[in-house]
Amino acid sequence: MTRGREGLPALTVAAWLGAVIALVAVGLVVWLGPPAARAAATGAAAMAVGYGAGVPALRRILARRSGIASVAGAVVDEAIRLRSTLVLLVLVAACIPLLPLLLDPSERLAYRVQFLVSWSLGTASLFLCVLTACLACGSVCGDIESGRIQMTLAKPLARWEYLVGKWLGLVLYGLLLVGLAGIGCATLVWMLAAGPAADAADRDAVTGQVLVARRRIAPQPADPAAYEAAIAAALAQLEADEADVFRAAPAAARQRIRRDYDRQWHTVTPDMVTTFVFPGLGRRAADVQLQMEPRVTNVDVDLADVRFAVWLNGRPWPPAGDEPREQTLPSRARHVFDLPPELVATADDLEVRIANRNLVPPGETRATAITFAPGDGLMLFVRTGGFTANLLRCLAITWCKLALVAAVGVAAAAAFDFPSAILATLVLYAGAVGNDFFRDALGSYNVVGDTAWGRAADRMWYAAAHLQEGRIYAAVRMLLGFVTDGVLWALPSFSADAAIASLATGVEIPRSVVLSRLVLFGGVYPLLCGALGWFVLNRRDLVRG
Amino acid sequence: MATADATIEHAAGPTTPDGVDVTCVGVSKWFRDFWLRPRVRAVEGLDLEIRRGEIFGLLGPNGSGKSTTIKMILGLVSPTAGRIAVLGRRPRDVATKRQIGYLPEESYLYGFLSARETLDFYGRLFRLPAPIRRERIDRLLEMVGLDAVGHRPVREFSKGMQRRVGLAQALINDPQLLILDEPTSGMDPVAARQIRDLIADLGRRGKTVLLCTHQLSDVEDVCDRIAIMFGGRIRTSGRCAELLAEESATTIRTPPLDPAVAGEVRAVLARHGVDPVTVERPRRRLESVFLEVVEQARAAGVTTSGAQAGGAVPDFLRGTDEAVATAPAAQPAQPAGGVDTDLIESLLRKPTDDAGS
Repeated sequence: MTRGREGLPALTVAAWLGAVIALVAVGLVVWLGPPAARAAATGAAAMAVGYGAGVPALRRILARRSGIASVAGAVVDEAIRLRSTLVLLVLVAACIPLLPLLLDPSERLAYRVQFLVSWSLGTASLFLCVLTACLACGSVCGDIESGRIQMTLAKPLARWEYLVGKWLGLVLYGLLLVGLAGIGCATLVWMLAAGPAADAADRDAVTGQVLVARRRIAPQPADPAAYEAAIAAALAQLEADEADVFRAAPAAARQRIRRDYDRQWHTVTPDMVTTFVFPGLGRRAADVQLQMEPRVTNVDVDLADVRFAVWLNGRPWPPAGDEPREQTLPSRARHVFDLPPELVATADDLEVRIANRNLVPPGETRATAITFAPGDGLMLFVRTGGFTANLLRCLAITWCKLALVAAVGVAAAAAFDFPSAILATLVLYAGAVGNDFFRDALGSYNVVGDTAWGRAADRMWYAAAHLQEGRIYAAVRMLLGFVTDGVLWALPSFSADAAIASLATGVEIPRSVVLSRLVLFGGVYPLLCGALGWFVLNRRDLVRG
Repeated sequence: MATADATIEHAAGPTTPDGVDVTCVGVSKWFRDFWLRPRVRAVEGLDLEIRRGEIFGLLGPNGSGKSTTIKMILGLVSPTAGRIAVLGRRPRDVATKRQIGYLPEESYLYGFLSARETLDFYGRLFRLPAPIRRERIDRLLEMVGLDAVGHRPVREFSKGMQRRVGLAQALINDPQLLILDEPTSGMDPVAARQIRDLIADLGRRGKTVLLCTHQLSDVEDVCDRIAIMFGGRIRTSGRCAELLAEESATTIRTPPLDPAVAGEVRAVLARHGVDPVTVERPRRRLESVFLEVVEQARAAGVTTSGAQAGGAVPDFLRGTDEAVATAPAAQPAQPAGGVDTDLIESLLRKPTDDAGS
């Protein structure tokens, strides 16, 4: 009897939510017509069904006679019944199915699918992190400020168990919501991808470059040792010629020299052949794609065509007798070629030689060079799996981020009142999202020694020098570097994995990345936050006011 | 039931060597401000002992330190100085809390849970098996008169109904030590009377009860010993009967007297030099009248959407057989009939005899 009555409200909420979404979806189908509305309706229905099935399953999992499971179950009940959290949840649920309606049907299908993937998961990730932060802080602060925690902790429940229970409830509820976002995203993507494409190339792009998982391989110089030696020699020369400049910022000097060499190496000058080696391909590699985004230099024309010839593992491609057929492509555009397996699978590494066959522009004496932006201007892709597995990895990383936000929220709420706790949690979330930006902005600021000890010694030395010269502000600014270093070291990065961008561009999210996020965001950081929260809560008098 | 009972992680309660369930020695609590300066001295040098099986009343005006003392006993607040032992262990000890039931001064409940879910939540914190939980929840809701509305969210309940849920959760683990902070606050007289009866019943079953209330009549009715706090210190303590004994007057209670008989009593008393003598018709207590009206309405079948009449104390709140067997018998009925002058004489002589011995 008890179980039946307990299950009723959760099912009621799920049914209510599902009914509202279904009504909206039906309305959209009727008024807007297919195919976008049909996709939206299907996505909404899939999410509603998922919620309706997931909530009772979650409550059944937590219906154990354990203190931690009890607290976690109460958090889930709170999440599915409180109006404030329900509003956020409806926002999440509504955003994903409505996205297809924002897409311009005249756009290429591959672009629309990419947009749908990145925006649906990006929006869901943002809303779910905010929802988790609100739930974490609201639940713990609500317990402390209302006095409910007095009744809970008067029971045989250790304070660490209370915190773990709160976190577990949030993490499991987050798992459900991330799963729903995945269901919604996958349904919409499949519906949209089944629609008409602009042309055959558009269809190929959807299947071969978006709804796929591909391993990305960056090129290496033909002789890496010689390349590194050249960079080292250039650095030594700089240090000898401009010792003061080098010592002021050795890391920056290294970065500059390496950037120059990389740019130079990615440039194919006229009448020259440059060799790019893509390592670790394996002889059994199939479905290999070469992606290039060539640019021309030496001319003022941005969109000039580039002419070039290619050899794969020493054999011309595409062959025109013994020589490769010259190809002409517009510059500043991304081109993807499917490489023939018989040319690729002849060695463990793939050697790509590119010859510049540009013509001499009118009024010039020399042909323009062809350059590829280091990083993503020239890339090899090897198909390793499908979209679904990649989506699951992306969702796993998103869930790990929720686990971290939940841990920070619970720990902050154990120490502060609600406004301070939610502010601290959201600041950390924003810091984690913008970590790369901060790293770039703050990392280039006060860059001195090569190692942590070297940086510390240099900072102290420079600060002392500034003080001796009476430049107090400069000295303080130099010492502030310790703070920025500490913050950058401790702050997690939500942007480093670029999981959603990888998924949207058909790039495989490596298992190692998923595993590292599971360990770091789902284990290490929550453990540290939990220990901090427990330390504070254990010393806190649980009285109001 | 018997099989499930065997799996409950609780025993009859840890035995304390000296039969004392709660000991506070030199306990002080200062609340500090943001700068760690002492802001409020809530409790100072508190010494307290609560023996097993007694009903102990902790009294005092607002701000006298009663609730802080209770929270220190429960391990929710750490004492600044002194030592507390509860059932022979530290208050924070999880094993200790398995034997404690606590009803705070306000109903701190999750409003989104139903009464039944609330009890299930607290039952699971005690790791009670599901069949036992269900059984106890049914019995407790019946006892507090909420079995008909157990599925409604607690936020829809009146304050008194929420107190009933709070009381039920305090009993779900069959506690050895029951700590009740203002248990009758917000309750109607019927429920308040039932709670008084429940406390007395639990006392007879060998449970230890710490009762903190402003309802002095509750304390008079049920407590074995009391302590009165003021300014964070215990100002007086002792057995309830001793503290309340009135040495300067004697009350003789009889059925309604004929004026002639009253005059005869006065004459007897006057012969012994007792003067002045006040003879008056006692008034009924408003509580009695109220209870009678409610009982009549219920007997007439009038329905209510609120709490129903509470039921009997559930069997699972069992005390030791020895405690129940040695419990004091109910108060004897008042004698009826005419004036018993011998009784009056004996009462009047007694102080002299006592003084002589």
